[in-house]
Amino acid sequence: MLRFIVRRLLLLVPILLGLSILVFGWIRALPGSPAQTLLGERATPQLILQVRHQYGLDKPLPIQYWDYLKTVSSGNLGTSITTYRPVTYELQHRFPATVELALGAMIFAIGVGIPLGFFAAKKYGSFFDQSSLVGSLIGISIPIFFLGLILKYIFAVRLHWLPSIGREDILATRAHPTNFYVLDAIIGLDPGGLWDAIRHLILPSIALGSIPLAIVTRITRASVLDVQHEDYVRTARAKGLPPNEVDRRHVLRNALLPISTIIGLQTGLLLSGAVLTEKVFAWPGVGSWLTSAIASRDYPVLQGGILFVAIVFVLVNLVVDISYAIINPRIRLS
Amino acid sequence: MSIAELEGADVQRDAPSGLWREAWSRLRRNPVAIIGFCLVVFFALVALLAPWIAPFGPNQDVGFSQCSTSGCPGPSIHHWLGIDLNGRDELSRIIFGARFSLLIGFVSALSGLSIGLVLGSIAGYAGGLIDTIVMRCMDVMLAIPGLLLAIGIVAMLGTGLWQIMVAVGVTNVPIFARLLRGSVLVQREQDFVLAARAVGVRRRAILFSHILPNAISPVIVQGTLAMATAIIDVAGLGFLGLGPQDPATPEWGTMLTQVNEYLQSAPWLAIAPGVAIVLSVLGFNLIGDGLREALDPKLRGRV
Repeated sequence: MLRFIVRRLLLLVPILLGLSILVFGWIRALPGSPAQTLLGERATPQLILQVRHQYGLDKPLPIQYWDYLKTVSSGNLGTSITTYRPVTYELQHRFPATVELALGAMIFAIGVGIPLGFFAAKKYGSFFDQSSLVGSLIGISIPIFFLGLILKYIFAVRLHWLPSIGREDILATRAHPTNFYVLDAIIGLDPGGLWDAIRHLILPSIALGSIPLAIVTRITRASVLDVQHEDYVRTARAKGLPPNEVDRRHVLRNALLPISTIIGLQTGLLLSGAVLTEKVFAWPGVGSWLTSAIASRDYPVLQGGILFVAIVFVLVNLVVDISYAIINPRIRLS
Repeated sequence: MSIAELEGADVQRDAPSGLWREAWSRLRRNPVAIIGFCLVVFFALVALLAPWIAPFGPNQDVGFSQCSTSGCPGPSIHHWLGIDLNGRDELSRIIFGARFSLLIGFVSALSGLSIGLVLGSIAGYAGGLIDTIVMRCMDVMLAIPGLLLAIGIVAMLGTGLWQIMVAVGVTNVPIFARLLRGSVLVQREQDFVLAARAVGVRRRAILFSHILPNAISPVIVQGTLAMATAIIDVAGLGFLGLGPQDPATPEWGTMLTQVNEYLQSAPWLAIAPGVAIVLSVLGFNLIGDGLREALDPKLRGRV
């Protein structure tokens, strides 16, 4: 097991190096010189020279790259050219928002998807089964932002049941020590704040969770169908175990194995899918921050933000791989 | 010519066509795949015949004077889907939009597929150092979530039609490369490849006429699904404001962007392009699903 983890960790090194080269090269491949980009269009040649020297842009490329690596590994991801705040400072505030949204979406997808897939498999071929299949195909085919717009229109604009934008009431003046609003409300024993945070989370979570929901439903259904006909399930039934017990202890537990991988992989994807959802619901997370950075051509933010999200994505996948190996001995030994 | 070569040609002619014929007959009996096929053909026809079936031009002012501060006239007999905020007929814009959205999706999926195909088959067949280098590069590309990679590329190239195609195409490259490499690795060890090598068939011929035809079926399934995702991604980039900057271009995703702000006064303007995206994407997803079942060797013989 230890060997497996060490091997996976070693595989991480070339990927992270490759990522840093890609992101480093990317900002240099942008139209106009980096100094020009940093200063904007109306910079004087003198100022450009000064900035080039200040940022070490007049040094040879390999040395620049080495300097960049040193800065990044010391935890400095650059400074925004529009707000002049460090990228890491913004991430502290925005990443929790994105994680909260991704978790909300995943809870929605798992909470609805696993029971749905399970009963579809149980009632194989029935109307319920067919409609869950068609429903999940439609679920994958709806662009997140379109679903978000529709949900916003129905539940916020028309029915006024739920708020349409943001993470909390605009007039609220609560303190947020962790920036996870739900967690903050629980720590602060503030039921009003908790309700407010959850109400704001519902629509974006459903929109973002639609694709994982469809995938979790399909995989659960397929996996339960597979497991259902295994010999050990027949044995359990033959020895007179009540049907519910068989489902719980033998079918579902074994069927959850492939589902867990999918859930892990989807969580990584949600972090990037959040870009569109956050734009629709004006959710102050990493995604909407990157979108506005494109509009304002804030390249340091894009560079640092994309690198950060990619690293998180790689790490989530690593955790998924390792936990899968722990659950399933066949992977570990091969 | 040796007997092995003669028979090799026969076997080669038979084997793939058998698989394809069988797959086709299974596909024909799958109602879901047929629905998908109809949807795709429908949108393809709409795109091709746009100038003849659209009631108005995509940028023709048909009633800007009727728009007031509270919004534009909704659906009516003359304008089935209403008039957009610039006084243009929404239905006509959807019809012309099919050209852009499908074409961008098609070109980006196809370019990603072809580059991925070449890289994957070279990596899988050559093995060794080439394999390691190519696949590590693909791993790095896969480490950046697709949409973010596309955003980064568009930020680099600037906004516009072909920039989006490149961006979405590039995100597809590692997916296909990885898929094809895996499949080539499996095929490379097959007995028929060994046999071809034994009778002295050249490496390139083995790769192109023996390995690739057998490794291609998962690629075709993935290709249809990639087309579906490409349409969604293109619309997504359009929605983020990275699409064609010319507001006259009737791209479905871009059409949704403007509506975000006018949702209250004109919801139908949001629903129409959205439904067009969903139906065309659904079409490709249904075909992909049907193809996957039809080409699945485990299900062979169950026609």
